Amino acid sequence: MTGAPAAAETWSGEGVRLSDVETALSRLRAATATDGAPPSMRTSVMTHLAWVPEHWSEQARTALAGMAERHPSRAILLLPDPDAGDDRIDASVTLERYAIPGVERSVCSEVVELHLLGKRAKAPASVVEPLLVSDLPVFLRWRGEPPWGLQELDQLVRIVDRLIVDSTEWDDLPYPYRRLAELFERTAVSDIAWARTSRWRTLLASLWPGIADIRTIRVTGTFAQALLLQGWLRSRLDRDDIGLEHVEAERLVGIELDGEPAPFPPGDVPQPSDVLSDELDRFTRDRVYEAAVLAVAIP
Amino acid sequence: MAAAAEQANPLEQGLTLRRTPDPFALCIFGASGDLTHKKLMPAIYALATRRLLPSKYAIVGVARTDGSDESFREDMKQAVQQHARDDFRQDVWDELAASMHYVTTDFADEGGENALATRLAELDGERGLGGNRVYYCAVPPAAFTTIVGELGKRRTATGWTRLIVEKPFGRDLESAKVLNAMLIEHFAENEIFRIDHYLGKETVQNMLALRFSNGIFEPIWNRQFIDHVQITVAESIGIEGRAGYYESAGAIRDIFQNHLLQLLALTAMEPPIDFTAESVRNEKVKVLKSIHTPGPKSVVRGQYGRGFVEGEEVVAYREEQGVAPDSMTETYLAAKLYVDNWRWADTPFYVRMGKRFARRETTIAIQFKRAPHPPFEETSAEGLRPNVLLVHVQPDEGVSLAIGAKVPGQGMTIRTVHMDFLYGGAFRTAMPEAYERLILDTLLGDGTLFTRADEVEEQWLLVDAMVAAWQRDRPGFPNYAAGTWGPPSADDLLHRDGRSWRRH
Repeated sequence: MTGAPAAAETWSGEGVRLSDVETALSRLRAATATDGAPPSMRTSVMTHLAWVPEHWSEQARTALAGMAERHPSRAILLLPDPDAGDDRIDASVTLERYAIPGVERSVCSEVVELHLLGKRAKAPASVVEPLLVSDLPVFLRWRGEPPWGLQELDQLVRIVDRLIVDSTEWDDLPYPYRRLAELFERTAVSDIAWARTSRWRTLLASLWPGIADIRTIRVTGTFAQALLLQGWLRSRLDRDDIGLEHVEAERLVGIELDGEPAPFPPGDVPQPSDVLSDELDRFTRDRVYEAAVLAVAIP
Repeated sequence: MAAAAEQANPLEQGLTLRRTPDPFALCIFGASGDLTHKKLMPAIYALATRRLLPSKYAIVGVARTDGSDESFREDMKQAVQQHARDDFRQDVWDELAASMHYVTTDFADEGGENALATRLAELDGERGLGGNRVYYCAVPPAAFTTIVGELGKRRTATGWTRLIVEKPFGRDLESAKVLNAMLIEHFAENEIFRIDHYLGKETVQNMLALRFSNGIFEPIWNRQFIDHVQITVAESIGIEGRAGYYESAGAIRDIFQNHLLQLLALTAMEPPIDFTAESVRNEKVKVLKSIHTPGPKSVVRGQYGRGFVEGEEVVAYREEQGVAPDSMTETYLAAKLYVDNWRWADTPFYVRMGKRFARRETTIAIQFKRAPHPPFEETSAEGLRPNVLLVHVQPDEGVSLAIGAKVPGQGMTIRTVHMDFLYGGAFRTAMPEAYERLILDTLLGDGTLFTRADEVEEQWLLVDAMVAAWQRDRPGFPNYAAGTWGPPSADDLLHRDGRSWRRH
């Protein structure tokens, strides 16, 4: 059911005001009406923010493309460039229309890209707040490691219901987990690295009660996944003596428990957009994740 | 580890664990039939694709037609490729096909049932199915009694047994009681799963979500705020070669007794205390018991004549193959029903259903009372209609609310506009077919979306009372043209009350 939109209308401008963006969205929606037919429906279920430093922009757009159809939303990509010479906002607005089988009308998702140049990158919450869809949850996908303690992060965390990170994208683990844990009381957090261990955790849970006495877990995958699985076992089993051996790989491909390979979990490896999409269906704090992070972050 | 074995598994906390059915053998009686090809096998394939089946299971097709495991697999593969909602995946199919078997037998023959019992016992041993059985009776009613009787005699010593029964479940109260008694002789009520596939539809279940998860609706879901309810189950197709069945069923047994009364019960029921099978079904039965038998003036029967559907000329019902030229079978039924209880007293439920309507549509329209004193000039609101909450069961699954809104511009002109929630718009994952949900629920032993014996008997009690009144009159059939919304007398049914059917 996922795929490219049936149609897309675009507007863009340089040095824009947010009212220009809102006007563009209204005009694009009205323009979808043809021959007296009603305009396409805007059936948003959320506002999806993404903080996307320049070198993450392509990956962000790819993930968004696979997800927009399943979560009709207003997606706002914030592309910060604090070192730009000018202080201004450049914007592009795209209305993506998806056909609904058997129905003449289509449903539309809005994608707003805001290039925050110069000082405009310093107060992102003030930029996005006027564009949030009222009364709907706000998800913030942060690409790369968040700038812990800086105001950009602090401001955005204040206005969102859920922060989605991928700790696989971070260096110097497990230190950043300590900084992430400081946000747990302020917003719900999802971690794509953790989500990608889900199939394996289900499989490991099925090994209960034999797994209760495990001494060492050997993980072939990213370091973030290895740490999180170790933290998960430590926190769930209430034992801080479970050791970790890590073999670097781009994705999680194997686990050994005290030297015994665990069976491979059934099913296909989910696509990046599927993983993100699943996290966008979550609305509450993930206490199990938080405990796993704390178990490896706090020595 | 011994101590750990006694604890709850701490690793399961926070995991999204699907309930997986126990190992099972699913025997489909009528494996060569249409239902198996078009609905059951595509549904099983969808469950396999989503890994909702356990690792150990067997699908056993049972029919009189000669065949083998290989020919059954090939036949079902084509059925899946033709009718499944998912793209065909060879890896999923290979896994599924390896669990598929075929038994040629006729239970009407002496000892015909032994072949199946032997094969199932072998599969138990080979696959570790634990003696768990699901018997799906996708057969005509005539074959049903023999099969159930023989199955009942050969219950396995271990494991659970469940029986899925397709409609029609009887043709009147007496036959339904006989069937229920026969089933209860061999199976416990919680082992019997009477299918009404409407209950497997997402949008029908959404009626429960709409009513009981939104604080705004339930306080106004009563006679004080609702003027009336209209339920439409319209089909644009004719009888599709099923004259043998339809001639003796008519619209009242084909739609009213099951689908329509289920929709009405879900609309009118009190909130259940929880979502268990017994709680939900208890509330539905209370509604059925409360329905006042409509008098002859509150029921309209119709039969379609020639007409046009989607631009194509179609024949009259009496010209359909296998239909008697003087048939008095109704292909249309409309009725004004009252649910005589505290919540709904004096609130009419207008229902209509049948064949060869102008289009296919199943909707539940809740029409609210008008605003008591609109402070606008009469002309400014002349286009304003009462608020209607419209539940689209099919097609265009969703909910819309008709509200009054000011037309932009000078002055105050008010028109009716629609706020739409389309399932396909908000939830972009494909909706499961009804049979997927119902088969999975059976495997899990959850009877919430199935019809209980007393529910069926209450439905027939009402139908019998209505049919008895028909013995005294003979309407002039045909009385509506195919491709229309029914006979004029159906319009009069509402006009007499100062109301009209919803505009389409």
